[in-house]
Amino acid sequence: MLFVHEVHQVVGAKEDEFEALFRDQWMPTLAQDDDARLLWYMNHAHGSGPAYNVVTITGVRDGAAWQRVDERLRTGDLRDWVSAVDACRHDVTAKVMLPVHWSPIQDVEFADVPTDGREHELHLFMEDTGWPTSSLDEYIQAWDDIYRQPLLAYADDMRAIPIDIQACFQNAHGSSVRREAMLWQYIPDPATVVHLISTDLPIERRAPGTYMYDALAFRDQWKSRLLRTAAWSPLY
Amino acid sequence: MLFLHETHLVAGYHEDDFEAWFRERWMPVLGEGDDARLLWYLNLAHGSSWSYRVVTITAVRNGAAWERLARRIQSGDLQDPMRELDTYRHDVTGKVLVPLPWSPLADVELASVPTDGAAREPVVYMEDTMWPFANRFADYIEASGKVYAKSLEHHDTGAPRFLEIEGGFQPAFGSHLRREVMLMQRILDVDRLQGLLTSDIPPEMRAPGTWMHDALSLRDRWDSKLLRTAAWSPFPTEVGDAAEPYAERATAERHRPGEVV
Repeated sequence: MLFVHEVHQVVGAKEDEFEALFRDQWMPTLAQDDDARLLWYMNHAHGSGPAYNVVTITGVRDGAAWQRVDERLRTGDLRDWVSAVDACRHDVTAKVMLPVHWSPIQDVEFADVPTDGREHELHLFMEDTGWPTSSLDEYIQAWDDIYRQPLLAYADDMRAIPIDIQACFQNAHGSSVRREAMLWQYIPDPATVVHLISTDLPIERRAPGTYMYDALAFRDQWKSRLLRTAAWSPLY
Repeated sequence: MLFLHETHLVAGYHEDDFEAWFRERWMPVLGEGDDARLLWYLNLAHGSSWSYRVVTITAVRNGAAWERLARRIQSGDLQDPMRELDTYRHDVTGKVLVPLPWSPLADVELASVPTDGAAREPVVYMEDTMWPFANRFADYIEASGKVYAKSLEHHDTGAPRFLEIEGGFQPAFGSHLRREVMLMQRILDVDRLQGLLTSDIPPEMRAPGTWMHDALSLRDRWDSKLLRTAAWSPFPTEVGDAAEPYAERATAERHRPGEVV
């Protein structure tokens, strides 16, 4: 399965129109066949980064299905839809991603993805994108070894998980930057993020043997986005 | 057909290793199958922009072939070779392109693409990337074919041609920016570059009715790269006077003593 990640720079005055185009047209149109589904529609939380940014992730069954969707957008039945979307955004930056070998999400069962716009609580995600100085493969492995596994062990002990890593992706060849990977993390308790923002990291949490220290062997550049699901986002 | 466009930030010390990897590994490996072929290997001319930049364009048969290639690189037989390549470059930025409706290059007979590294005369391209205004994307795509590409033929004046558009492309769904157009333009007369670089554009060439003027309603931002093919680059395919095997002339041509940029 391929995951198309898009960052939309939305025209502020048209944010509702933009959202409606995805909710009322893109999501149900994709649902008419088996090639793709809109999975997440996320608003970049105001006050935490660029204004009026929306992130969408669309699951696409395979490369052949991706090509069919591309052709529909350029010359087929979705051409008018994408023109309407273009009128509501300054631009969009995109990449096609593949799940890494240890990613909890590898495939999505399309039949289980809601397409009716049903509403739910808003959920907060932290999307971390990192650019390693080590090899890409070593970085991806380290994320599992020294980040995810300790988090899972902590969750076992405490019977609560502060950060739920739902997926980890790398870019498909030729689609974007090569040396990059992304963690897709659900934050069950937003207080976790508030604490992270408002508290210095104590020295013992960044000493040798901690993730913060040891991960420097692989990278020191990453970027976090705090993304809030729309009330109707199919996955949340 | 899909075209993978990659801009490589090459590690200067490793530029020869980097080029050899593409010539001796990537090109022949792709040549063993039917999914893809390396078309162009181009050096961004030193002195014209960034240092140590290489642009490669790889043709891929379709979406299914692209996914196969991506998975071979992620976890298959090409994972280790790609990891080796990463040691020769700082990074690479890629985008998947599809041909514009009017593009001269729309399909490639993959079996006909050379994979033998035969030497050819270097060719210089001007790769122009444009970012049309928000509501003029489709108009720009159409005008770039109907007006700009036609104007380069100089049918009205009979003047010799300077540029020839070999391909026009836009990013495919989910790759890079949406509102972008790229033109792969071969420079037919390199000597005329000097005039372009050293002369102002005369008022009559940017007056109403000219492309320079009228296209401002469609876009006013673009970026030009001056790219020179490596001697062994599969495209362009014609073989000139320099048709001896690459290895026999590589050393003499690539390491001229005292040549400093």
